[in-house]
Amino acid sequence: MNMAIDLVLTAFLGICLMLSASSRLVHCIRLVALQGILLGVLPLLMWNWSKACPGAEIWGAAFVNIMVKGVLLPILLIRAMRKAGVKRELEPLAGYSWSLLIVSVASALALWLSRSLTIPGVSVLAIPAAAVTVFTGLFIIVSRRKAITQSLGFLAFENGIALFGAAMHLEYGFFVELGILLDVLVLVFVMGIAVFQISREFEHIDADRLNLLTDTGEVK
Amino acid sequence: MVSMLALLITVPMLTAVIAAVCRGRFCRLLLLSGSILHLGLALYCFNTRIDGRWIGLTSYSEAILLVLTSGLYFAVCCYCCSWLKAEECSKKSLWILGICLPLFLATMTLVILSRNFGVMWVAIEATTLFSAPLILFHRSGRALEAMWKYLLICSVGIGLALLGTLFLAFAARMGGVELHDLRISEFLNIKESLNPGWFKVAFVLALAGYGTKMGLVPFHTWLPDAHSEAPGAVSALLSAGLLNCSFLGVIRFAALAPDKVGEFCTELLIILGVLSLATAAFFIIRQGDFKRMLAYSSIEHMGIASILFAVCGIEMTMIHLVAHSAIKMSLFLLAGNLLLACGTRQISRISGLFGVMPANAILFLAGVILICGVPPSPLFFTELVLLCQAPLWLALLMVLLLFMVFAGMMKNVLSMTMGKKCELEIHAAPAERLIWVPIAGLCAALAVGIVFGVNL
Repeated sequence: MNMAIDLVLTAFLGICLMLSASSRLVHCIRLVALQGILLGVLPLLMWNWSKACPGAEIWGAAFVNIMVKGVLLPILLIRAMRKAGVKRELEPLAGYSWSLLIVSVASALALWLSRSLTIPGVSVLAIPAAAVTVFTGLFIIVSRRKAITQSLGFLAFENGIALFGAAMHLEYGFFVELGILLDVLVLVFVMGIAVFQISREFEHIDADRLNLLTDTGEVK
Repeated sequence: MVSMLALLITVPMLTAVIAAVCRGRFCRLLLLSGSILHLGLALYCFNTRIDGRWIGLTSYSEAILLVLTSGLYFAVCCYCCSWLKAEECSKKSLWILGICLPLFLATMTLVILSRNFGVMWVAIEATTLFSAPLILFHRSGRALEAMWKYLLICSVGIGLALLGTLFLAFAARMGGVELHDLRISEFLNIKESLNPGWFKVAFVLALAGYGTKMGLVPFHTWLPDAHSEAPGAVSALLSAGLLNCSFLGVIRFAALAPDKVGEFCTELLIILGVLSLATAAFFIIRQGDFKRMLAYSSIEHMGIASILFAVCGIEMTMIHLVAHSAIKMSLFLLAGNLLLACGTRQISRISGLFGVMPANAILFLAGVILICGVPPSPLFFTELVLLCQAPLWLALLMVLLLFMVFAGMMKNVLSMTMGKKCELEIHAAPAERLIWVPIAGLCAALAVGIVFGVNL
């Protein structure tokens, strides 16, 4: 099973590189959904199958994870994208080749720094994969203009945190996991509404042009 | 008794469901009845001490926060009843208010009652989700911008706190303890075996995460925008209720610090506290918008509260939080009244309010004097205790910064209230009828101050 786990963790690193270099929003949404599905599968791969079959809670958590992150969130995001009428992130604040370079350097650094950090029972790739996913999410939030790409960045960031928990066998318990998924679902729902309202009010969804509110500027 | 506590969360949820079905009708009646029921339950549970698997009420300070939040919500609902008559609002806005306000209360209650770090995280994130639509009450472009910043910055911040929670579990494992869930009481039992290095990582992440939500500098950037663009009643709840709940997250993490790390945690709290105080002081002096000024004052008081927590412990902090909440709620409601009457938040365009709307003007001035910590404000006594116990450099720095805040706030408020009547068309009558809740809030704060000051 160790091979499979390492494969999934490597896939996470690959997805980060693809996310940082892709301009089509549909493509980005699919990549984030793939992260979600892999996250759902990971606990099953890490289960010690020779001892016993996983209980209902493990199956339930995996199922809910895949349904929410792999199916519901992409549907919500694609709907928000259609309503706001955007397909691509055209002029990001950091260009695509630069983004790719920065994320690759970050991955290399993460792999190099964590080589001495061995934790028994945990794959060597776990910490770098989670750290790079978190970093890519944050990087997308700060380097992209469109509000919808920023929410994608947030999802990648959240997936990175979840990956950290799953890969290190840190459990919150089934109900807390459900609560977290529910929170993320409602958050994306509210963000979708916000993106639609922003596109209607301002006729664009460029978050960097949302700059009415300052301490020195005009007051209502 | 856990079922009584669970009722505290389910009652507002039920109110929200009924409000959702009614689609904006009976909005005021539902809000008021829900808040009365919640306050009654909260008072009934005040002396209960119970520690369940998910929720519980284990300390005096949490009980006080519970009653405080419930009381503030009740006061804001009373205010809303008359405010919604005076304010023009669409049926859809009313509908959203009727759903989100009780859900906001339910999630804040869950934060206070949670006995599990995971549940607490879920609840704090949920407060963001249900308060964000409330900021959008007026449906303007500016409110949209504020809401987007609030959603994004707070969610990312709170994401860091989730990472901090995971690192806390990791610190327990590296210390040789295997825990099966994230119960706060289990962590308290094993706190000396937590691995100090990993606990530091966990605490820094949690402080950044929950600190974002409570508006500590440098994570505060969303706060002035959200608090100034939301309607007065919502800003009052955000500032007086939500900030305390987020602070509780930091307090619960800090309580786990093993002896070796305790000093590190207090130093970090003091540094962020002083930064918040200093930033707020500079921005208050140059502020041109009276609601943003109040928002920066909230940042200032959260900074003072975290210094207080680091230096004097939890009791003083609680008194500070209670007093700040009562006064700040009144101030934000009064700011809502001023906005309703004048139609602008620009300080330089408003003057001579004493002549036009005397009740609101006097109360606003009185509230600002109290929030700056002039005796007999309870904030004066807590700050005095802090200055006596703090090291000399910190005490001197704080006196200087507090004086700057005082000067800045007084300059702005005096220019609004005194002087010649301004050219704005002021609709004073509806605003002058909305003064009873702020009066009650200020009187409560004064009573706390006098009782506390006499006993000191």
